[in-house]
Amino acid sequence: MERLHSLYLHVPFCTWVCKYCDFNAYAVLEGLIPPYVDALSREIEVAGAELPIGPLETVFIGGGTPSLLTSVQVGQLLERVRAIGLAPGAEVTLEANPSNVTAERVEGWLAAGVNRLSIGVQSLQPDALRFLERLHSGTDAIAAIRTARAGGFANLSADLLFGVPGVNLVVWLDTLESVLAEGVQHLSAYELTVESGTRLGQEVRTGLVQMPGADDQLEQYWAAAARLEAAGYAHYEISNWAQPGFACRHNLAAWNYLPYLGAGAGAHSMFRLDDGSTERRWNVKGPHAYIKQASGGGHALDGSETLSPERARGEAAMIGVRLLGGTGATREFPAQRQQLVGAGLLVEDHGEVRLTRRGVELANQVGAAFLA
Amino acid sequence: MIAHVDHGKTTLSDRLLEYTGTVAPRDMVEQVLDQLDLERERGITIKAQAVRMLYKADDGNTYQINLIDTPGHVDFSYEVSRALAACDGAILVVDASQGIEAQTLANVHQALDHNLKIIPVVNKIDLPQANPELVREEIEKVIGLPAESVIFASARQGIGTKEILEAVVREVPPPTGDSNAPLQALIFDAKFDAYRGVVTYIRVLEGTLRPGMRIQMMQTGKSFEVDEVGIFRPEREPVDDLSAGEVGYLIANIRNVRDSRVGDTVTDEARPAAAPLPGYRHVTPMVFAGLFPTDTEQYQQLKEALEKLQLNDAALVYEPETSAALGFGFRCGFLGLLHMEIVQERLEREFNLTLLGTAPTVEYRVRLRSGEEIPVDNPDHLPDPGQIEAISEPMVLATIVVPSTYVGNMMELSQERRGQFLNMQYEPGDRVVITYRMPLAEIIHDYYDQLKSRSKGYASLNYELVGFEEANLVKLDVLVAGSPVDALSMIVDRSKAQQQGRRLAEKLKTLIPRQQFEVPIQAAIGGKIVARETVPAMRKDVTAKCYGGDVTRKRKLLEKQKEGKKRLKRVGNVEIPQEAFMAVLSLD
Repeated sequence: MERLHSLYLHVPFCTWVCKYCDFNAYAVLEGLIPPYVDALSREIEVAGAELPIGPLETVFIGGGTPSLLTSVQVGQLLERVRAIGLAPGAEVTLEANPSNVTAERVEGWLAAGVNRLSIGVQSLQPDALRFLERLHSGTDAIAAIRTARAGGFANLSADLLFGVPGVNLVVWLDTLESVLAEGVQHLSAYELTVESGTRLGQEVRTGLVQMPGADDQLEQYWAAAARLEAAGYAHYEISNWAQPGFACRHNLAAWNYLPYLGAGAGAHSMFRLDDGSTERRWNVKGPHAYIKQASGGGHALDGSETLSPERARGEAAMIGVRLLGGTGATREFPAQRQQLVGAGLLVEDHGEVRLTRRGVELANQVGAAFLA
Repeated sequence: MIAHVDHGKTTLSDRLLEYTGTVAPRDMVEQVLDQLDLERERGITIKAQAVRMLYKADDGNTYQINLIDTPGHVDFSYEVSRALAACDGAILVVDASQGIEAQTLANVHQALDHNLKIIPVVNKIDLPQANPELVREEIEKVIGLPAESVIFASARQGIGTKEILEAVVREVPPPTGDSNAPLQALIFDAKFDAYRGVVTYIRVLEGTLRPGMRIQMMQTGKSFEVDEVGIFRPEREPVDDLSAGEVGYLIANIRNVRDSRVGDTVTDEARPAAAPLPGYRHVTPMVFAGLFPTDTEQYQQLKEALEKLQLNDAALVYEPETSAALGFGFRCGFLGLLHMEIVQERLEREFNLTLLGTAPTVEYRVRLRSGEEIPVDNPDHLPDPGQIEAISEPMVLATIVVPSTYVGNMMELSQERRGQFLNMQYEPGDRVVITYRMPLAEIIHDYYDQLKSRSKGYASLNYELVGFEEANLVKLDVLVAGSPVDALSMIVDRSKAQQQGRRLAEKLKTLIPRQQFEVPIQAAIGGKIVARETVPAMRKDVTAKCYGGDVTRKRKLLEKQKEGKKRLKRVGNVEIPQEAFMAVLSLD
């Protein structure tokens, strides 16, 4: 099995679960945080003993809302991580909700070893924030970025949502402009996606909410892409932009099909086996069950799936094409590549391929071409 | 056992099998005689099935009765005719609430053609809507069978079972054959068994058939040595011999399905009969359609599957066909739309194929200016209009049986479908029998569904071919993304052509899914575009997030979408679903 150099830690707690969210996140369970952190520490410890892992190049603490953890708790987790081995210059990211970013926490997180903060701004527009059920204001979000930077974070990312009902192109670009003015190094802009099983999904299904049309969504997307490029950010993945040297190394590793360990409730891991096959496994989703299982033996496995080398190559290509700087992951699929180039969805460039503008719009069609 | 579809033949057969102890109670399942999965799922009989019963009658004697359960749907009337040729009598089942319907009449006519003794049974008398007295009166007036001979039954409750068996023993004449005469056995069905070769279903009329005998097929002249003879109970059960009057099967290491033709006569090679039995009226397919493998590599498999299925379904005819759009396949002839649907489903299920069927069409006769007359069963093969002197289309005599309230609707519908009114007759029970002469092409285009929906389900239909008639017809072509798709062409009445073209284009627009590019759809008559629609290009298909667990979820979703696409046929660059090829069937 290939050695693991990336670690994802999942924190499934939120003060409030926003209506569009379909992540593994739970409100009103904050009381479980202390035993959860203990269980998660145990899982990291056991993984360190059982798996070929480290030194870690990237660590990503995501959620949920990991910023609900105290800096002591974050420190406890990163202590365990250091026991596995942290490479010099490793990227250690924490996802933060603007409401939790105080000078005191910023100082604690930095001290604990976090060196990259990803702030969930989503929007600055009051109506949009209300629609999305965010508990912070736009002012809070801007203040959070400033506090983090003033406290010493030199690698900041902001998450934004576009295609929000009621937000037109002008308002969206205005939000983007204000966030860029704060000098973040990295920006993720996601189209608001309606997932079944969420409250937003139900509102759309019953006609209570009408989502913007595809033309409007794409207009906001491409306008943002143009603005970001002009501002010196490279569009390196479908929904991600970064200043030179600030692309998220943790996510890049996964998109380049490198293996990683995911720990915590519902977390997914990806292993590369010696015969070229890929194993994906995932933990139990519920925090109660996770705590119960991981606290003892450090395992909370729920299921796994092994992809043959051929299918693994297809999956690698499906993910790889989303990297807009180009990918070599389609090397084994000359026929599909030729067809997609012919259809104007891919261009070839020095042996690698990348999506055309139309290819980005139909990225799933391109990805599917490599699957059996 | 004959009846209109759904009047309860198969359930009544179940009761007879139970009552005579042919099937032990623990082996009893519903629809014992329906052996195809498809028959049980749909609750209809497709294949006629034979079974031997022993019945100890009130007179103290034990009688051997061979029962053949038949399908009721109009498409399968050929199965009924084959079954009747092997019989001495017929049990006619009529539903106590539905009364006499179109296929009841058709089946009675067939039975009379074979000089069979008919035992009328009014079934489902336990149902609240049942009106057995009225139906009995109807049977006497419409069919001419004496009211006293009618037996009241409820297959569900087992009422009348014994009375039916007694009537069979009393009324149906015993077989007249001589078991010492030269062998004459009628082949009425056959089936392919992977281990034993062809299993031939026979009725012995004269002589005796034993294992070890060398037999000869009188039509083909081929001879075989008999390995096994047996009866149906209802599973195959070997016996020492089958003699005059008996129904059963023979196995003779027959490998080629063509060597056991339904309708042929089996005789003793050493002591042949003087002449073959009359056999059957040759079956004429009514509708034709192309069947193509979605995966071109399955062509050979499809060919073998058709050969095997044809053995069991003598009404199916086919020949190779090449379509510019769909590749290599077969042009098949069917008895009707249900038959076509059943054949496609059986091929897919029993032979594990994925098929695409084109819209069914009738067989036209085209007289060329050169004086030559050619049959055309594929619209795309219609010669250039400049060469055509005249086109004739097959006509049917359609018999509709319907409650009087809906007569107006039935006439309106039939008029719209170019029908020529022939006759209308009022029968007891507020029932009207209407006859029309109309083009078969109109019947296969949604006529039956319309008939049902405009009569709230009460109308029943039977039709038979009555010849050809000249008509003013043109070919309507369809172009998808600029290229003509031969499999979408249709032959239509000139006065309706433009309207049909518009409707077809509109319909195709809703059926062809959005592709990566814009897809224009055009309908053309003789090179002139009469309608145009456009399927807009897919605007976007992109997932915003692809992290951790999203990957598995996304891959599974894309794989599932891809699997669904396998049911689509790629024509040029455009993926067209099966439904699109059937769109022409329901344009009204």
